[in-house]
Amino acid sequence: MSSSTTLAQILERPDVWRGDALAGAALPGVPTGFADLDRELPGGGWPRGGLTELLPLRRGVGELSLLLPALARLSRDELAWLVCIAPPHLLYAPALQAGGVDLSRLLVASAPGRDAAWACERSLAADGVGAIVVWLPEVQAASLRRLQLAAEASQALLFVFRPAACASQPSPAPLRLTLEGEGEQLIVHLLKRRGSAQSLPLPIAVQRPLRLRHALACPASAVSAARSLSRSAIA
Amino acid sequence: MAGKRLAEARALLPDLTLRERAVEREQAALKRLACWAGSFTSEVCCLPPSMLLLEVAASLRLFGGAAKLFADVIAGCAEQGHLPQAALAPTPLAAQWLAIGGDDRACCALDELPQRLGSLPLSVLALSSADDARLASFGARSLADLLRLPRGGLARRLGPGLAADLARALGELPDPRSRFVFPERFAERLELPMRVEQASALGFAARRLINALCGWLAARGGGVSECIFEFEHERGARQRPATVLALGFAGATRDGERMSRVLGERLYRLPLPAAVEFIGLRAEAPAALAGRSRSLFGERGEGAGGESMAALVERLQARLGNDSVHALSTVAEHRPENAWLRVVAAPLTGEKSPASLLPAPVLRNSAAGPRPLCLLVQPQALRELAGRPQCGGPLRLLAGPERIESGWWDAAEPDALGDVCRDYFVAISRRDEWLWIFRSQAGWFLHGVFA
Repeated sequence: MSSSTTLAQILERPDVWRGDALAGAALPGVPTGFADLDRELPGGGWPRGGLTELLPLRRGVGELSLLLPALARLSRDELAWLVCIAPPHLLYAPALQAGGVDLSRLLVASAPGRDAAWACERSLAADGVGAIVVWLPEVQAASLRRLQLAAEASQALLFVFRPAACASQPSPAPLRLTLEGEGEQLIVHLLKRRGSAQSLPLPIAVQRPLRLRHALACPASAVSAARSLSRSAIA
Repeated sequence: MAGKRLAEARALLPDLTLRERAVEREQAALKRLACWAGSFTSEVCCLPPSMLLLEVAASLRLFGGAAKLFADVIAGCAEQGHLPQAALAPTPLAAQWLAIGGDDRACCALDELPQRLGSLPLSVLALSSADDARLASFGARSLADLLRLPRGGLARRLGPGLAADLARALGELPDPRSRFVFPERFAERLELPMRVEQASALGFAARRLINALCGWLAARGGGVSECIFEFEHERGARQRPATVLALGFAGATRDGERMSRVLGERLYRLPLPAAVEFIGLRAEAPAALAGRSRSLFGERGEGAGGESMAALVERLQARLGNDSVHALSTVAEHRPENAWLRVVAAPLTGEKSPASLLPAPVLRNSAAGPRPLCLLVQPQALRELAGRPQCGGPLRLLAGPERIESGWWDAAEPDALGDVCRDYFVAISRRDEWLWIFRSQAGWFLHGVFA
């Protein structure tokens, strides 16, 4: 009897889970904005106080759009700060605003090389930071481990973008996703999560600039039209 | 060795080292300490050569009681590099005498005074030798004996001065003191005990100056958003100009911890051309410091413990450079490059952030076409093959063209974008990348990524 109660107690811990079920989370996650994805994540959303590793196969598959609903929610509803560190391209303010992000609560830091991980650690220690998005193409496993520990001590979301080639390497991140585009959908593979393995890819309908079925029927004519327009305008 | 002649002292202690007394440096140190004491009270009285009086009655509650305040003052003094002989008493003169007599137990009640003062020797009064001799002839050995003598007779025999002093010490007569005037600008210099070659080792000594600055700011009721450190190098054949380090803060502050942190990050990267002998700290007129409001519940936001956002911005700026940390804002402009702006990240000033002050610039999605989350710094030229732009294979154009033709007004300005005439398209590559491309007179360009 007593041994079964202790086992039950152990199973209630957030860092212990059964192999056939999702782990519980100490803190409820931040809803991703996509119900299909929420169902598959421990805690029902992006985990607070944990490192989430995102491995997009290519740029432009919708990797930031996947985060946008959660970021918008944090900045608008929770009045938390968002920190973006070392983005590879300019983050385009009008699009972020259109996506619902409160720009007055966004901080962008360009940090070369190892400074990016340092800036990330400092941001995790700061009070009032809700989410940190960092691009770390060449990070060492030891730095990632440090970041994971720093993330556990905070309540912020930490998203680390790394190249898809890192998918085969071990990582201390408790949640790892690879992202792939397929037409209008973003295909998410859950490489690693706390709980049973999910081998099926998850199609997510992220915000796209337009629906594919509304796309130009005949691009070639559009191009020629555009060219004639340009010429006449430039002439 | 006090009271001995030099030859006698040398005879007793052959390896005695002699130092010239530097009175003006003592005075500078006393002034620095007076500034530092401003963090405890604004009523500071400076008694050269070596005494400082702090009127703390009004500060007791803020600092958690007399005993705690007293301990804080002594610990702070030690941090400043001085070992004070301190005393706490209800009247300034009594405190002076107790301090000279080396009685450092706090005395908080007036009626305790006669007994406490009584145990002091007469030497604390620093009387002339003639008066000392006369008192000895009365049979007075300690202050208790003096206090027992009738005050009127004492005044007739030794002059009214001593009798009045006794009355002031016991609180029977008022004892107004002239206040230390906190300087208009803070400028202090500290000599290092030894030459310092490593910038990172300067932080400890600089902390003393920062504490003095904080005291001065507290007494002036303000904060600074910039202060300037000057590191003077050793004198030698090649006298180098002082290394100047300006520390900027995201908002007015008088938090010593925060200043030290920012200084630490800057020192970490500061190259020193030569060893440092003096550290100077200057600060201009303090700005009014807005009051802080703390939240009732430990919710997120400023003041909820931990490092605040303001401190974070400062730290990042100190290490990465001021331009590397910024916030974003939108601008009502048609040219994509000009439709956004880097703005100063200022989460702490308590004012509205610049992003929300700018005229709300809503380019609605219905009016303009879709905009990508990532914009390339420079548009990237794309090849054209069989009438179609190429980016890892032919691109499929999904939407467009969206004509953007604007900007003739700054065409002549040097760094401006100038007049543009572009047709923008949303395109998808063979590898399912969503791209934002445009066609201009010069051909096809990739300008953004729908990340």
